[in-house]
Amino acid sequence: MSETITFLAMFEDFEPASLGVEKLHDLGLSDDDMNVISGIPIKGAILGRPSAITYVSRIAMVGALLGMAFGLFLIYGIPYLYPLLVGGQPIFPIPQGIIITFEMTMLGLMGFAFIGMFVDSGFPSYTPKEYTPEISDGKIAILFSCPESDQKKFVDALTKAGAESVVPAEARHL
Amino acid sequence: MTSLAKPLARPHAEEHEDPREHLMHDPLPRGKMNEMVMEAMHETNWKFWVVTGILAVLVATCLGYAWYYLIDKGLGVAGVNMPVFWGIFLVDVVFWIGISHAGTFISAILRVLKVESRRPFTRAAELMTTFGLVQAAISVFMHMGRVWLSYWMAPIPNERMIWPDFHSPLMWDFMAISTYLLCSTMYLFLPLIPDMAMARDRSTGWRKTLYKILGLGFRGTEGEWKNLTTAMNLFAFAIIPVMFSVHTIVSWDFAMASRPGWSSTVFGPYFVIGALHSGMAAVAIVLFLLRSTMKHYKYFIRPEHFDTIGMLMLLVSMAWAYFYFNDYIVPWYGGDVWDKLFQEWAEKGPLWYLWYTMLFCNIVVPWSILWNKKWRRTPWLLASAGILINVGMWLERYIIIPEGLTINRMPFTWRLYIPGVEIALTVGMFALFLLLYMLASRVIPLIPVWEVQEGQEAHLLRKIGKAEIPTLSELE
Repeated sequence: MSETITFLAMFEDFEPASLGVEKLHDLGLSDDDMNVISGIPIKGAILGRPSAITYVSRIAMVGALLGMAFGLFLIYGIPYLYPLLVGGQPIFPIPQGIIITFEMTMLGLMGFAFIGMFVDSGFPSYTPKEYTPEISDGKIAILFSCPESDQKKFVDALTKAGAESVVPAEARHL
Repeated sequence: MTSLAKPLARPHAEEHEDPREHLMHDPLPRGKMNEMVMEAMHETNWKFWVVTGILAVLVATCLGYAWYYLIDKGLGVAGVNMPVFWGIFLVDVVFWIGISHAGTFISAILRVLKVESRRPFTRAAELMTTFGLVQAAISVFMHMGRVWLSYWMAPIPNERMIWPDFHSPLMWDFMAISTYLLCSTMYLFLPLIPDMAMARDRSTGWRKTLYKILGLGFRGTEGEWKNLTTAMNLFAFAIIPVMFSVHTIVSWDFAMASRPGWSSTVFGPYFVIGALHSGMAAVAIVLFLLRSTMKHYKYFIRPEHFDTIGMLMLLVSMAWAYFYFNDYIVPWYGGDVWDKLFQEWAEKGPLWYLWYTMLFCNIVVPWSILWNKKWRRTPWLLASAGILINVGMWLERYIIIPEGLTINRMPFTWRLYIPGVEIALTVGMFALFLLLYMLASRVIPLIPVWEVQEGQEAHLLRKIGKAEIPTLSELE
């Protein structure tokens, strides 16, 4: 099995970048062998790529359930442990229960969405990565790995597709 | 010879408006926009430091020293006393929570509704939410007196077996404000990550270290964007009901008490709309200040943005008037003696001028200025209207809280509220808000550059007949 090499191809706009992705597909690379890095979010379909998978919503739902459980504990668990009669109101009221449960559910939902974004993206991560600051200047980069023996073929194809540069990707401290 | 067609109307200047006057149709290369935002953060002149110095002195004296004085001498040095137990402290709490509603409204509701003109000023508004809530929390802690015992509100076991009563509106308030503060801070941070990464790529020294930490190692891969935008969408939808709940619960602090002027079923939505009234007005002030003082911000913040804010302000002021009238007419018609007394006290009592000033600022000012497109697009005029609206909204809370507490069902306890140290504390809090905002403007990119670029990429001018018509596509 031949060695692989990772390249970073830079594109100015969506059109050449989508053509670049197409060329990589034609050369036999699967979607898993490449990644698009950009300064703005781009719908996968624009570049002919599948939509990325995210678990943030599912993690947030777990958070919402945990938050709801905590809210129920606060409003019903605490008076159960330490009953406090005020103003002739019931110990386990439903209307007040809705308020605290709602707040804690939303806190759980959003707190876990936040944490989920960190976990799913692997943040924070300060290890060296393949990147160039031109990306945050609006360029679109395709990061891909190909067999070392075929590298010329890949570089030529992407250059023809309109890549501004196709260079071996170097991991650097961000 | 007879004319077959005559003009239906005289040509109007607005009909010939060039779409390129809009930020979304006047794109610059992303690199250039990054450079402009970074330059605006880095370049400070002597005027900035003079204002910062004055604000720091005000914070140290009016907030720091006055709070120390309050703690040292006790709540007696404040004007709060029977029957007015909630004075300016609570006026400030409600006012600052109101201001904080602007960020969520602008950022979340306008994001959900896909109002494109929101893009350049969402962060400026979100920052107001976080700093506004900090002020509200400070005000609550000041009013506690023995602030070091504030942990008693937390549900932690202790040897006295004292637990907070979660059936109390004050605990609902604590939970709602805490939730809102945490969630709005997270919501502020999420869209900031790509801009922190952008700043990291263009900084050196301590700034590089700071942005590297806050940038979290963001590069902009498909997965990172997907996770980020999913989280932002979740927040945008979820924080809206939380925003509504916060000010509704704040209103219940009053409405749950069976007092004249307070016990009203319309208080919840009335407070929410009041919060939006002051919040939107505060956004207008902040945008004017940013546009006037920050380099290059005239490119990002344009008359069209003031127009959008102005229209929202007009709409919200009408809604406020509607709710206020609802809250006014029912007790007025009902004829309850105590409600009547409270209304007469506000309108004809020793502080009658506050009531008229409130109505002037909250209704007359916006209705007489904001109907005119040209005036809405004049930044200083909109900011002036914003200042007056905020004066009106602060007075509204003053009328509801200290004046409302003055009139109760035991006339022998009636006493006019004369504020003491809380005046200095209020000045200190305004100074702290401005100081935090000024310092943040030098560290945080206040323009979400990636969102602006995303919008500009999505907007196109399509030629239909003789005209170029703006069209919008979805990139994400």
